[in-house]
Amino acid sequence: MINPMDLTGKSILVTGASSGIGRAAAVKLSRLGAKVILTARDQERLGITLSQLNGEGHAYYSYDLKRIEGIEEFLSKIVADNGILNGFVHSAGVSEMKPLKMSKFNSLHDLMLTNFYSFAELIRCISKKSSSADGSSFIGVSSVSSIKGNKSQSAYSASKSAMDGIIRPIAKELSARRIRINTVLFGMIGTEMFNEFLKKGGDISAWKDQYMGIGDPEDAANVIAFLLSDASKLITGTGLIADCGYLS
Amino acid sequence: MTNGEKIDLLEEMLELKSGTISENTALAEISVWDSMAALSLIALCDEHFGIQLTGEDIVKFRTVKDILDIMVG
Repeated sequence: MINPMDLTGKSILVTGASSGIGRAAAVKLSRLGAKVILTARDQERLGITLSQLNGEGHAYYSYDLKRIEGIEEFLSKIVADNGILNGFVHSAGVSEMKPLKMSKFNSLHDLMLTNFYSFAELIRCISKKSSSADGSSFIGVSSVSSIKGNKSQSAYSASKSAMDGIIRPIAKELSARRIRINTVLFGMIGTEMFNEFLKKGGDISAWKDQYMGIGDPEDAANVIAFLLSDASKLITGTGLIADCGYLS
Repeated sequence: MTNGEKIDLLEEMLELKSGTISENTALAEISVWDSMAALSLIALCDEHFGIQLTGEDIVKFRTVKDILDIMVG
């Protein structure tokens, strides 16, 4: 029997791997045979993710992706230690709820550093021949907030729209090397970020349109695995919607 | 920061004329006090005092003074 989502022998970098969709994706990719390289800020929680992975040869690196200027050197070290990559998942991201009048430049910029600028810089560095193999697949974890707004999420929505926007020209640039790049516009997934949203007084009624319920992180991980695998060879330069019906 | 200065911050946040609210004003009496104002308060307390307020904290507030009391640091 063949497994069209088999990732045996693939080396995949996952940011935001200490929690949420990033952690679930890392575990899933390891079960599909990939060698997974984890990164996030919190070393302890990265260690927990590492302990959940299937198989051998995985690695983790603690790094604060807001340090954009250090990303090139950081990635060089990862490649020197682990060889060139076959895939990349940018799951690092923060959410905040700030009404427009409180969303000043400093907080907008701070959020864009993690959610967007780090993504753009990582893609720039990873897409070099010395860092990634031809036929690689890159994925940004985006959100339905990219195209449907909710009150107090202007910065978050803008950061996800930026991710969805940047991949289209990049997909064309990288196509000569058969490298694919996509984002996934997830609906609300039952992660720590969702719990934080509720704790901070987030309005759950805004998500009542998600009629298939709050998504399971493992199901989110399956979508990511699909886009990394050869099963999705026809898909590039697009934002795949995985929203439990929210936008329909 | 004095209570007067904290009230100034709240009035600016709520876009109220200076002198509209005082320590004893009940939040229920402030027409613009709503869920968005609560989110603004979370952002304001984080920015000015480094305090991470939660929705649970805010629903316990009854008067302006309840807010002023946590605006420390």
